[in-house]
Amino acid sequence: MQQLKANLIEHIKTSFKDAREKDYPNENRLDFYVNKQCIPSILTYAKDRLGYIHLSHIAIVDWLEEGEFELIYIIWSPEEKIKMFVRARVERENPVMPNIDMIWRQANTYEREFREMYGIQFQGLEGEQDFVLEDWDGPPPMRRDFDTEAYANETFFHRPGREDALDVREEIIKRSREEIPDFAKKYSR
Amino acid sequence: MINDKNSQKIVDIIQNWSRKHSLWVLAYGTGCGAIEIPPTMTSRYDAERMGVRGAATPRQADILLITGYLTTKTLKRVIRVYEQMQDPKYVIGFGSCTINGGMYYDSYNTIKVLDKYLPVDVYINGCMPRPESVLAGFGKLQELIGDGKANGATKYKENLEWYKANQKKIIPNWVMPEYNW
Amino acid sequence: MREKATTLYIGPQHPGITGNMMVKVKVEGDTIVKATTEVGYLHRAFEKLQEKRNWLQSFTLMCRFCVPESDPMEESYSRAVEAIEGREVPERAKYIRVMVLELARLASFMLWYGGQNGSLGLYTMGQWSVGDRNYILDLFEELTGGRVYHMYIWPGGVRRDLPKGFEQKVLKTLDYIEKRLNDYDDLMFDNAIFKKRTQGVGIVDKRKAIEHGVVGAVLRGCGIKSDIRIDDPYEVYDKLDFEVPTAEGGDIWARALVRRQEARQSIRIIRQVIADMPGGSFYNKIPNPQKWTIPKGDAYVRTESVRGEIGMYIASDGGTMPRRVHLRGAAYVHGITLLEDVLVGENLADISAIMNSLGTCPPEIER
Repeated sequence: MQQLKANLIEHIKTSFKDAREKDYPNENRLDFYVNKQCIPSILTYAKDRLGYIHLSHIAIVDWLEEGEFELIYIIWSPEEKIKMFVRARVERENPVMPNIDMIWRQANTYEREFREMYGIQFQGLEGEQDFVLEDWDGPPPMRRDFDTEAYANETFFHRPGREDALDVREEIIKRSREEIPDFAKKYSR
Repeated sequence: MINDKNSQKIVDIIQNWSRKHSLWVLAYGTGCGAIEIPPTMTSRYDAERMGVRGAATPRQADILLITGYLTTKTLKRVIRVYEQMQDPKYVIGFGSCTINGGMYYDSYNTIKVLDKYLPVDVYINGCMPRPESVLAGFGKLQELIGDGKANGATKYKENLEWYKANQKKIIPNWVMPEYNW
Repeated sequence: MREKATTLYIGPQHPGITGNMMVKVKVEGDTIVKATTEVGYLHRAFEKLQEKRNWLQSFTLMCRFCVPESDPMEESYSRAVEAIEGREVPERAKYIRVMVLELARLASFMLWYGGQNGSLGLYTMGQWSVGDRNYILDLFEELTGGRVYHMYIWPGGVRRDLPKGFEQKVLKTLDYIEKRLNDYDDLMFDNAIFKKRTQGVGIVDKRKAIEHGVVGAVLRGCGIKSDIRIDDPYEVYDKLDFEVPTAEGGDIWARALVRRQEARQSIRIIRQVIADMPGGSFYNKIPNPQKWTIPKGDAYVRTESVRGEIGMYIASDGGTMPRRVHLRGAAYVHGITLLEDVLVGENLADISAIMNSLGTCPPEIER
């Protein structure tokens, strides 16, 4: 497997000069850190020439402290049996990413969801604007600076009696007038 | 028109007895809890011996079973379905998400208390309730109908403005017909 | 003379669709011309909720993602957390996990038998198979305490050991179910009406399968042999002996044949697991959950569930709460772009059968 990984690194680095790689020696996983503009070309190259025909997942992480989103494209080759992670970063203010709809058709669903939940614009993406939410006029809800508990408390009714978080152990002790045994004391808050 | 009080009582007893032994449930799985409805309706926990079976459209159903949590998008459709059902009609709240929000108590998309938007007759507790609990819930509803106390539909008609104000507060785009029967 | 095109809403309240979603179709006469799916009726924002819950509290949310089979989600979460932290799982726990996963797969197959046949009008099959599924749920209740949501597989192993005499009960139930599977074959696969309604309907060919990224039984129904338990093995699947069935054709009939064989392979796996089960401990104890931190890193694990491939991506930033838990179910691909492509040119009466066969489960799509 190390030989396969070494071949792969050499193929990618000859065609894409500024891709950094990171190897995980005990697993069948290989990471590449690239710029966001060369995402369509590196994925097409991997699909057509190197046998990576299956797009498994597109993951997204919100790094609020660094001011960036990170998009991770995870592709799989059934012959070589190695997972390849292609990672790109995009800034949080007015994010724009290229569209990979024409390479794999299922990317349309992922990109529609990211457009609605994070506010990322994809160039040339078609499809309905609303994917999951209906008549939503707030900020994109999955960003880390949107507080969901405050929004839920303000918009919906709550059944009274939930605000007081009583400790179960102490209530039982008050009712039956017993002592907490020593081995259980370290689990109390 | 029957003006005699004793005859009215006899007619009520016969009417309630026949209604409670033939309750048809609308086929609409609104949430998680719809996974325990097929075991209730099939061979082991047979619900058809109590007269309960599935109905395909709202015009033919008596009970609306809200199985689990409701999002605002589903609530709009459920209100429309509820207003299309004919009298007498009953609503059963299934699971602890209809009582106080359950484990999604801080989600921005689910409603927490069902009672403010639709009139509920019986609540069934649990996450998930077992099929025996569902049968016990139906039994309790039958008892309430026999005593003449299951009147969620009349409560809806009398307090219509209050229910509509609560519903319009969370559904911004209101394109539904006005309820006039 | 051409008919006029009408728009129909096969809406959220319909006895034929699997779950709470809407398909908007444009028909001319009886043939579908264009289809659009709309989801969002079950969105709870799971991934937003876990930002406020620590590593052990997030585990309780995991089993409610996909309702008919809840164990593969718990297992992939546990395996991803163990991969980031580097925690070892004892051998006995791995064998018990495989047994629970395969029992969940059998129970989900029973539910599929009922749903697929009910969409074509054969309601007897649902009464038989959902009634027999209760015996498997009885086993789960004795082992974990709940029928549907188990919360049994957590990071570090499993939650409690097998009770005394449990293996004999499992073997007795498996003998009964194997006999009943032959009865189902007589009713369903020797049935001329079932053959006539499912052959040539809902075809997914090889080129379309690779273009859309199709997984699971749908891919095996096209003739391509691909299974994560063999390609990328996890737990103890590389020590067990089983086959992966395929069929040619890509229509509903081929997928039904594939699933029929897979149920029997599941029974074979459980019998091997019970014969080979080692002794030892069942749990590698985690520290105090209020203060448990995982070092910085990320992981992506894949599991083979009944519908296909489940991918779970977890990222950690060194704290007590996960940074990001991003899950991808098999229905995410099959339910939206593939369904809209397959439905064009089909008959209006076959929508329900196609949806059941592709395995669209809306809670998995919109989480």
